[in-house]
Amino acid sequence: MIALIRSEWLKLRTVRSNITMTCFAVILPLAITLLTTAFIDVYSVDDATVSVVLLGSGSLSVLLFGIIGVLAITQEYSQGTIRLTLAANPRRIRAYVAKGIVLAILSGGLTAFIILVGNTAGEAILDSRGAVGKLSNGDMGQAYLALIAMSVLVSLLGMAIGTLTRNPPSAVTVLVLWPLLLESLIGSLLSVAISESIFKWMPFQTGLNSLRLEDYEMDFGRWGSVGYFGLWILAISLFALARFKRHDA
Amino acid sequence: MISVEGLTKKYGSTIAVDSLSFTVKPGSVTGFLGPNGSGKSTTMRCMIGLDSVQSGTALFDGKSYRELKKPLHEVGTLLDAGNAHSGRTARNHLRWLAMSNAMSPKRVDEVLELVGLMDVAKKRVGQFSLGMKQRLGIAAVMLGDPKVVILDEPANGLDPEGIRWIREMLKHLASQGRSVLVSSHLLSEMALMADDLIVIGKGRLITECTVSDFIDQYAKKWVVVKSPQLTSLVSLAQEQGMHVSMGSDLAEFHGVEAAMIGELAAKNNVVLHELSIQTGSLEDAFLEVTADAVQYHGHADTQSKGVGS
Repeated sequence: MIALIRSEWLKLRTVRSNITMTCFAVILPLAITLLTTAFIDVYSVDDATVSVVLLGSGSLSVLLFGIIGVLAITQEYSQGTIRLTLAANPRRIRAYVAKGIVLAILSGGLTAFIILVGNTAGEAILDSRGAVGKLSNGDMGQAYLALIAMSVLVSLLGMAIGTLTRNPPSAVTVLVLWPLLLESLIGSLLSVAISESIFKWMPFQTGLNSLRLEDYEMDFGRWGSVGYFGLWILAISLFALARFKRHDA
Repeated sequence: MISVEGLTKKYGSTIAVDSLSFTVKPGSVTGFLGPNGSGKSTTMRCMIGLDSVQSGTALFDGKSYRELKKPLHEVGTLLDAGNAHSGRTARNHLRWLAMSNAMSPKRVDEVLELVGLMDVAKKRVGQFSLGMKQRLGIAAVMLGDPKVVILDEPANGLDPEGIRWIREMLKHLASQGRSVLVSSHLLSEMALMADDLIVIGKGRLITECTVSDFIDQYAKKWVVVKSPQLTSLVSLAQEQGMHVSMGSDLAEFHGVEAAMIGELAAKNNVVLHELSIQTGSLEDAFLEVTADAVQYHGHADTQSKGVGS
């Protein structure tokens, strides 16, 4: 399995579009956090400023890690390398899991890096600009961990959607429209037909809710929200894996 | 040794491969022939588990492909030279393959050297010609030094030097005791490199034999005669009911033994300058045997009218 993981890692890092997308996913939240802390009115700063900016911009990288997940598998189909991958590793579940592990480590590790650099640098900038009082709060550690979990889950979701569609544009479209449009649309329709509380069952919304600072704002609690979203990802991944195992390459 | 037994692949109601059985012996190059759409590539994909099958098995030294723990060490396959990421360098393309089967990175340079791509190892595959991609595909086949080699149209896009190189390489691999299965549309090449043939049409086995047996069995034979008294000899032959076609300085006798012509000439004091047996090529034999299995026909007249109109 280690050999397979190393091979998948090499595949991921030797394609320019993957590197570009990864750079975007890292630079975007860091740039937003650093620019905001550099130019924000220091008198409006409180103990949640850095974490709110970092968690907000971090949710953009969550989506970008999802797109990296899409690219990791759809490139194989569009370039024909899936046949070589499966010829080299005919046990398809192992091939899928190895790719998933690489994506999880990449997205989780880089999100941890973004948090570490973004939070440290953001606090240092505010501090140097003379912001007074505490710059961190008790909830932010948990929220940051939830951001790491969301990055991992969404990258795996991207891979699952990519496996199902086998086509980069359609997989990216599904991944982006799901949180931005589909859930609001479906939620609105179902809330009229069933109940207003249906929104709390929308997986992406619930998952992203775990990135809020105050735990009491969440219907299922922070880790309940992550767990609920994770169950959806697990179900979609199992479905994708079943298709991956059965379909002609 | 490859043993394929009762392999059947359907796409909906279309049967692409129909209860196909054959064996590929070690130590020989086996040509895999069939008209376009006859199921050669599908068979190869099914053999290594890329496509699912409705029934049948393909075994490599008694094991199915999915049972092989490090398959690149056992079976090397080249199904399509285009199956490489255009943005990745040749070396990185081979490195990920080597890593997946726990091979040393040194092996990558060895196979790059073997196929003559060492100088362009750092070039992206997208910048490669079709011939260079074929060589890269063959490098991938040779990574694990496999006992079984399966190649689908490996000579596509290669220049004459490349075609000769691949022919010599495949013969060399077979001489080392490996089982080599190769499909190609270049029948003249196949005649030079293959020892055995598997011919299929519409997904079914038509014949499985040696190249010489195939030509003996299916290619036409005729006798060519040159003589200063050619007209007299042709008249005598026609009187005996022989089928003869006359050229400017030679005659071709069909459906008769050379000895009969020789005896006829001797009996009638006809001087012969040449009496030789001609045999049709592998291409002739192939066209003869697959005539009923060709799915897509071209018509020269129709094509030229179409171009002109």
